[in-house]
Amino acid sequence: MSDDDSTENDPKRDAAEGAESAGPTSATPRIEGPQKLDVLTIPYQIAQQGVSIAIAIFVFGGGSASALFGSGRSLLAIGALVAVLAGIAAFVGYFVARYRRFEYELTADTFDIRSGVLSRRTREIPLRRIQNVDISQNVVQRALGVAEVGLETAGGGGTEAQLRYVSVDDAEALQSELSRLSRVAKAGEGETAATDEERFETVFSITERELGILALISVDLRIASFLFFGASVFAPSAASMAQPDNWWEYGFGLDSLVGAFLGPLAALGAIALLALVSGVLNAARYYGFTLDRGEEELRYERGLLQKFRGTIPLSKVQTLTLEENVLARALGYAALTIETAGYTPTGGQSNGSQSAIPVAERDRVVSLARSLEAFEDDALERPPKRARLRYGFRYAIGLAIIVALLYVGTAVTDFRLYWYVPLVAAPLVPVAAHYKWNNRGYALGEDHVVTRNGFWVRRQKVVPYHRVQTVFSSQTVFQRRRDLATVTVDTAGSQSLTGQDAKAVDIDSETAERIREAVSDELYGALARRRRQGRDRSGPAGVGVSDAGGPGSPGGESGSPGD
Amino acid sequence: MTDPRDDGDGADPPPESVPADAEPAGDARVGAGQPPSDDPPRASESTAADTDDRPVAESVETPGEPRTLDQRVRVEWIVGPLFGALLTAAVAGFITWAVAAEYLPYDRTTSAVAVGGGLFVLFAVYGVVRAVFLYRSWRYVVREESLYLTRGVLTRVQTVVPYVRVQHIDTRRSAFERVLGLSTLVVYTAGSRGADVTVPGLTPDTAEDLQSRLERLAIASEDEDAV
Repeated sequence: MSDDDSTENDPKRDAAEGAESAGPTSATPRIEGPQKLDVLTIPYQIAQQGVSIAIAIFVFGGGSASALFGSGRSLLAIGALVAVLAGIAAFVGYFVARYRRFEYELTADTFDIRSGVLSRRTREIPLRRIQNVDISQNVVQRALGVAEVGLETAGGGGTEAQLRYVSVDDAEALQSELSRLSRVAKAGEGETAATDEERFETVFSITERELGILALISVDLRIASFLFFGASVFAPSAASMAQPDNWWEYGFGLDSLVGAFLGPLAALGAIALLALVSGVLNAARYYGFTLDRGEEELRYERGLLQKFRGTIPLSKVQTLTLEENVLARALGYAALTIETAGYTPTGGQSNGSQSAIPVAERDRVVSLARSLEAFEDDALERPPKRARLRYGFRYAIGLAIIVALLYVGTAVTDFRLYWYVPLVAAPLVPVAAHYKWNNRGYALGEDHVVTRNGFWVRRQKVVPYHRVQTVFSSQTVFQRRRDLATVTVDTAGSQSLTGQDAKAVDIDSETAERIREAVSDELYGALARRRRQGRDRSGPAGVGVSDAGGPGSPGGESGSPGD
Repeated sequence: MTDPRDDGDGADPPPESVPADAEPAGDARVGAGQPPSDDPPRASESTAADTDDRPVAESVETPGEPRTLDQRVRVEWIVGPLFGALLTAAVAGFITWAVAAEYLPYDRTTSAVAVGGGLFVLFAVYGVVRAVFLYRSWRYVVREESLYLTRGVLTRVQTVVPYVRVQHIDTRRSAFERVLGLSTLVVYTAGSRGADVTVPGLTPDTAEDLQSRLERLAIASEDEDAV
């Protein structure tokens, strides 16, 4: 079977290799023939599914079962038993069949999966379209020595291929083989010289100190402030509800003191608890984080209980995001997120493929980011000052509305709210407006557009021009009043699915128009530059290489009419 | 704005300059789209810069003329919300008749009709005003390197879609659009907002012509490593 397949592949392989300088075996996958999943998959999945079914039966079917067996009608009970056994046999059989049907195979330029028991499915994923390869293991899987492998592509509504589950060795072999093959394919196109084994150097590994800081800064301060604020407004009424008598008639006794401090204290407690939980979770998530850098890709590894390992191909990077929240800024730390076009439904929570550095000193993060994308780290252009005025008005109106609502609430209902408490924040309005304005900015660099937004969590996004998908500018009614506009640069990056595009907010409307046009013009400029570079690089590598480029990638030469 | 209808007609005059372009198949399709042109002759475009009678934006070689949507799209935009308004008014009227009228000093039916009618007029006026202004705000331009759209009543949005980023292009027609003789063009990119690039209110001919033209432009500017 496997012999058959390898001979079948030979002509294709020869065609791909014919003109290559990298030797006869480099494009041959070293994992030959169709592969199976790990046998332990069967018991693991049966246990996994069986537990949830057992729970469901226990919850919903427990009563009827006891009624059946307790009724004394033995024939019926035996029939039920047989049915249950048959069900279990079918259940087990299904997983065995699924295991037997599942096959994956690595060819010179595709990754094939054949699967399915009743409805069968064959998938071929071109290797050059694979965005990243992730390996994850939870505690049980680690004990069993199996791992889940996920291949992300830009298309579709989910992880393109999931191997559940293969042995850890197979997973690692597959991962390195995939990246080796993509490197060889690139070498065939003359983009880089083919190196057999990629050299990796560790560019970052998290220290215990940084882990501690990560735990500290991962507290969401916005939630904390809301909790605190809400508690101080609503606590008195809550306290009075607990004590229906008119407790304030006693003057400022012990009860009222408790009432006045209970809310804030409870809020503080909740904040501390939140901090502890999210801190510990984050520390566990990024425990033992290391980032290795090779010629063509980044590799990371992390996790205390659930282990993640993944690759981020450097040629697929869509955007870089430098993220610092208030605390991190105060301490001089930052995080780096690298986006590829892979699908990530949870926004980087469970899928770590995006997070390149969870936390490190800002300088280090910036220098690493600049080594990936050489963007200018100059000062950004701020929005005009009238934007700040706008924020001031916005916050003042928001505050007025809150106060009014609370006042109405006090007047209409029996709740006794300290409706005037939010007024304390009035002096903060100009400060908040200033900081909001202060943290916004944009810059059009040589090869990148950089935007920055946010006070609580400041995000600086770096988008290479050649990754721009669409550009749009928008003006709300309020923005039009002040002649402001927002420019959004859309990429295929996975975070832009959740609306976190690079945005230059509240800039002068004429500037916005200029930027919108400039960015889309720069896209063509950048593409032309890259094409030229690609040609230059393929030039000196030898005649054979450019020959191989012809049939292999029609885009290489025939794409040139565009420039 | 004076006569937006010419947009629909604009698709029809045979673009003689186009066949010089590389793609025979695409041109054949455009050509096939020509014959059923029974529209009245084209009125003068207010923004037309060319002395030539041929609509400028029809040619790939000379893009850049802002084009408006077909007038009939206003009907589509008005009728949709009207149904919503009717429904809301009916529900509100019924509630008034059944419940709220007890507390009102007026006759049951009268107050119900007043509430329902009032709501209907309110929504209907809103729908009509919005449709009219939205129609006025809509422009699309087939530029040299990108498709440019601008629209919006309260929030104005301008979108630039570089051809090199176009993944595929759909035209689609809902049942109501078919009755009105309209068509919608959807341009997909790999970006998240791809589905947002939608040009409604085109005549089927224009939509088809635009689709094949954009396809040609997208192919001509194809990029090797899209994503």
